[in-house]
Amino acid sequence: MEIRLKNLTKEFPGDPKKNIPDTVAVDNLTVTIPDGELVGLLGPSGCGKSTTLYMIAGLKNPTSGEIWFGDQDVTNLTPEKRGIGLVFQNYALYPHMTVYKNVAFPLPNIRVEKPRFYRSGEPVLDENGNQVYSPRKLTKAEIDALVRSTAKLVQIEEYLDRKPSQLSGGQQQRVAIARALVKKPRVLLLDEPLSNLDARLRIQTREEIRRIQKETGITTVFVTHDQEEAMSICDKIVVMKLGVQQQIGAPQEVYNDPHNLFVATFLGTPPINVFKGRMETDGVYIGSDKVLENTRGYKPGPVYVGIRPEGFIFGGDRSEFGMRVENVTVMGRDILLNASNPACTKPLIKAELSSEIKMEVGDVRCGIRPDKIYVFDGETEERLYL
Amino acid sequence: MQSKNNWKAWLYLAPVLILLSVFTFYPLINTIGISFLKNYDYMTQTSDGFTFENYAIVLGLQPYRYMPIPDEVTGELVQTPMYITDVVKFAIPNTAIITFVTVPISILIALAMAICLNSITSLRKVFQTIFFLPYVTNGIAVGMVFSVIFAGNSGIFNAIFGIPEPNYWINVSADWGHGMFALCFYIIWKSLPYKVLIFLSGLQNIDNQYYDAAKMDSAPKMRVISKITIPLLSPQVLYITITSFIGAFKEYDSIVGLFGTAPQTSPSRPNNMLTIVYYVYNTIGDNRVHYGSAAAVLLFVVILVFTVVEMQVSKKRVHY
Ligand SMILES: Nc1ncnc2c1ncn2[C@@H]1O[C@H](COP(=O)(O)OP(=O)(O)O)[C@@H](O)[C@H]1O
Ligand SMILES: [Mg+2]
Repeated sequence: MEIRLKNLTKEFPGDPKKNIPDTVAVDNLTVTIPDGELVGLLGPSGCGKSTTLYMIAGLKNPTSGEIWFGDQDVTNLTPEKRGIGLVFQNYALYPHMTVYKNVAFPLPNIRVEKPRFYRSGEPVLDENGNQVYSPRKLTKAEIDALVRSTAKLVQIEEYLDRKPSQLSGGQQQRVAIARALVKKPRVLLLDEPLSNLDARLRIQTREEIRRIQKETGITTVFVTHDQEEAMSICDKIVVMKLGVQQQIGAPQEVYNDPHNLFVATFLGTPPINVFKGRMETDGVYIGSDKVLENTRGYKPGPVYVGIRPEGFIFGGDRSEFGMRVENVTVMGRDILLNASNPACTKPLIKAELSSEIKMEVGDVRCGIRPDKIYVFDGETEERLYL
Repeated sequence: MQSKNNWKAWLYLAPVLILLSVFTFYPLINTIGISFLKNYDYMTQTSDGFTFENYAIVLGLQPYRYMPIPDEVTGELVQTPMYITDVVKFAIPNTAIITFVTVPISILIALAMAICLNSITSLRKVFQTIFFLPYVTNGIAVGMVFSVIFAGNSGIFNAIFGIPEPNYWINVSADWGHGMFALCFYIIWKSLPYKVLIFLSGLQNIDNQYYDAAKMDSAPKMRVISKITIPLLSPQVLYITITSFIGAFKEYDSIVGLFGTAPQTSPSRPNNMLTIVYYVYNTIGDNRVHYGSAAAVLLFVVILVFTVVEMQVSKKRVHY
């Protein structure tokens, strides 16, 4: 089911007595989350991701704006009525229940439609001749079947009799996902689902989430501050900063075409190299090196120039950019260069290149791949397209 | 670790150990000792040697004396054994009734009150204070207030609940049942604040995320209370259950508070409000300490067994 957030805003009132200012946790967010896709809400800590998620869930009320599920306005609907599965950041598994009971917990609350019959066996029909249904609870057998099939989906069948405290972080995570999925919700929301796991488990579990999402085809919103995580499994990412949405798109699209400096620096490992540069009438300069032509007649002024680590070309005939190589690390097929240039905003430039090229410490000149260099306005930090 | 330094540890422990020895261990052992002495005289500290008789008499298994009673047919005076003491007739049943009536009822009421208090947001602090006030109020003063509430035939209690005459609760005309009702009512009321306080602090320690999770799972309120709130509150419930049972088994001061200096609703019904601890206390006054000691040891054993059973049950039911 498609989720649409229209001008969604959430303000937390401050406390003037204690000198706490009002916080705008989410500011005028408008996003459409397509049916059946896995969408990542990505941004640094405190940018309003969780708040957005809880508003979708109904646990927090928006200050203004609307939330639509398909063609239903759910803005004022209580969480119970939204049909959502939510996985909390620290899972919130009921500690006193076994895994089985945790997963089964939502099911007795569900009512399914049951066709009604007269005693004679005739179906009950309304005035238009349609079958009349009445709600009924799930039977024990139905609950058992649902718990077991969901446990199988997330691969926790062996642990059904254990308590959450007897499980590892990754297993608890999967139990939390099972509990969210067992009631067949319309939407699955995950709040930093991998942040409590160690590095190896994180990669494994994110693939798992991807698989489960593809298998069930459920519309999923995935909150994370880890760009690599979002890039690797999401169909679409929404990059946020201080409650304001920065850019939406497929991960590769956003990576290759960042709309502003924040998005460019937030995505990519190693991160993009940022230089203080100048826009002149004839081109973009870093120090005395002209790295791009000013083809669109931008006014002269300070700019930021971002170059992705994989954007440097060595060994060719191009030599528009100079830097000093400080050290060279060979990592199998790749070489990682640490270099310096006075215009760089960080002490070291990071460059990745193929290990076929011979590199030595010292001053070098290189070319720059035109699709890996981005220019941003020095003040607004918005992208200047060239 | 270093056994050389053990004496230091003992030195630090000494003040506590001395106090405990003088005021707890010695009286305990002495009580057990006296409970096995025949015809012990408290004043002269003499006795007729070792016996189990005290226990048998307290439990009504052995006659406490023989009374010359005229035979129905012949009219001859016959030495008839008397078994039923006031302990058997009143103290044991009264203590049992007080315990098994007031403990569950007060726990249930306190739980309900704590859950309600915890769910209101405005004025919670005010209500918390109001609910806790009885706890810091002098027990005898409260007892006097209750004796006014249950006074006569037209006391406040009868007036509020519109109870028809004649219904005397605690004064001269009150029978055992009325007296016991007023007593239990008073004990329950008096024990609520502390229980509410403990439950409330337990409730406030429960992570809100569980309730959010339950909301996402569309669980109705009653299901949340029974499946989430109460299990997560089980450590507090266990603590309150154990301490309340111990307190109720030892009930004494409520009777003084409500009925005054004699444990009875009227002089014509002597000792009908007696409890075990009240009996133990009385034996000191009339030099029957050996019976009192036996009763005290029996009570101790009952409480011990109860607590052990509760701890065992709790192993399965309490979730820390
Ligand atoms: N209940 C609250 N009261 C006041 N401020 C809050 C509350 N919840 C969140 N905030 C603030 O809103 C902002 C966004 O928080 P959150 O959505 O939790 O960020 P994220 O999940 O992206 O790390 C933060 O500045 C946080 O301090
Ligand atoms: Mg968060």
